[in-house]
Amino acid sequence: MSGMTANALSVTGLTKRYGARTVVNDLDLELPAGVVAGFVGPNGAGKTTTMAMLLGLVRPSAGTGTVLGRPIHSPGAYLPRVGALIESPAFYPSLSGAENLRVFATVGGHDTAGIPVLLESVGLGERGNDRYRSYSLGMKQRLGIAAALLGDPALLILDEPANGLDPQGVREMRSLIGGLAGSGRTVLVSSHDLSELEQVCDWLILIDTGRSLYQGPTRDLLDGVVGGLTVVPQRRDDLPALCELLVACEHHVEWRDERLVVSSNGTAAGDLAASVNRAAFDAGMVLVELSPLRTTLEDRYLSMLQGGAR
Amino acid sequence: MTRVIKAELLRLVRRRTMAVMAAACLLFSAVVTLTVFASAQGAGPPSRRGGATLAALAGTGGGTEAFAVGASFVGFLVFVTFIALMAGEFSGGTFRGLLLRDPHRLRVIVGKLAGILLVAAGAVALTEVLTFVLSLIVAPTRDIATSDWFSMGSAGAAVRDYASVLGGVAGWAVFGTTLAVIFRSTPLALGVGFAWAGPFENITVDSWEAGYRLFPGQVLASLIRGGTAELGIGRAVATAVLYTAVAGAVTLVLVSRRDVTA
Repeated sequence: MSGMTANALSVTGLTKRYGARTVVNDLDLELPAGVVAGFVGPNGAGKTTTMAMLLGLVRPSAGTGTVLGRPIHSPGAYLPRVGALIESPAFYPSLSGAENLRVFATVGGHDTAGIPVLLESVGLGERGNDRYRSYSLGMKQRLGIAAALLGDPALLILDEPANGLDPQGVREMRSLIGGLAGSGRTVLVSSHDLSELEQVCDWLILIDTGRSLYQGPTRDLLDGVVGGLTVVPQRRDDLPALCELLVACEHHVEWRDERLVVSSNGTAAGDLAASVNRAAFDAGMVLVELSPLRTTLEDRYLSMLQGGAR
Repeated sequence: MTRVIKAELLRLVRRRTMAVMAAACLLFSAVVTLTVFASAQGAGPPSRRGGATLAALAGTGGGTEAFAVGASFVGFLVFVTFIALMAGEFSGGTFRGLLLRDPHRLRVIVGKLAGILLVAAGAVALTEVLTFVLSLIVAPTRDIATSDWFSMGSAGAAVRDYASVLGGVAGWAVFGTTLAVIFRSTPLALGVGFAWAGPFENITVDSWEAGYRLFPGQVLASLIRGGTAELGIGRAVATAVLYTAVAGAVTLVLVSRRDVTA
């Protein structure tokens, strides 16, 4: 996280209540400048409401903080430097993509000369003059990203930008967001597709029922946890004997295709690897693979949801 | 606010939209002119409620008489158009998109209204000019002299007619916007607006004459007509301003206080 000196976003006690229902509950958020942050939570966790509060669309019931150094209660002070795509993209159907961007750029006081380049950057260069109503869902999402990029914002807030896209569209969106990451701006992106977030985001915010479960670097969440080891002997015939041997050493072992998976059960990855390697070596077996079985974001996320971790 | 107005004009003033609007103005002018001139009868005092008289058409302001008579029928159309345009902004999510670019909500809603009204003002002016030109063409067929149409008095009458119609259009626009903001749904706002300004007001006034002076739609209709027997222009203006101010205040309070969730 080198080079991160300030928070793009820092809020404390953010709360939104609709009558007796609390949608966002005393949420603290800190987002270092320059990260691509994944905002993860199940349906109804409060992601969209949180984003809407940050964007001044929904008034917080409680909470203080800053966005780009300006108070959250004065969205007019920071929104000119924020780009957003929240809920589904919304444009005027009878206007072309370029005309729509011109309308929104004019309202925001942004330069309209760069619109063709912007359309090109999201892959709509060829279709920019076609009417919005003729766009596919993926094109609409990309136009939404283009609109969010108007004025070259320092902070991008994207709510489910890959929602409803086919696999190709998801891949394109991932590439697009990855490209935004390289430009030095801060990106906060919510998604249900955890594998996508895992690939794109270097920072994660996990929430459930309006409360924070985890906030921090993606690698801190995933690297410290190894679910076990994948073990493959040089000779396939050694697999049954190796399995018996490891069970005898009180390891929990599973067959998976042509390999054994040894659960860590809380043992440090290095100690477990050493123990397995020693046992195999003592039995005269050569291992050709002894690799940590990494926990995916999905595994971690689900285990945190079930455990109610903080 | 000028940015929002400019954006609204950018959205509306496009070749196709303008062509459709011009065609609609021409069609309206033609229908109104032909109808008014064809139905004009006898001398007698001018009456805009039941059409124009031959004397009124031949006199000062006769060149825009057809426009003034015809405009009394467009209020409802303006109302429905504004409901559709404004409610569509909420249900379609574009209002949310605009707020992301300019979070000053009142500036956005007032700017949008002003932008659309500017276009409407152009359409009203075009309609008045077209109606005048068509009246010049049609007048000889009814042996109506047009020499008085080019007097200063006629110019003043034309300006007054324009102001009355534009005032009525602005009132309908504010009412339409208020309904759109309250319901934030095009079908719902249209349904309520249609039911109120259509059947409810018009059926009720048949049995309750005070409705002509009290119902917003009737007041605006009187304003557009330049005053009626039931409600003079002075009181029509005052009542319309009061109603419009209340509707405008409701709109601004709702827009500024409510969460934008669509």
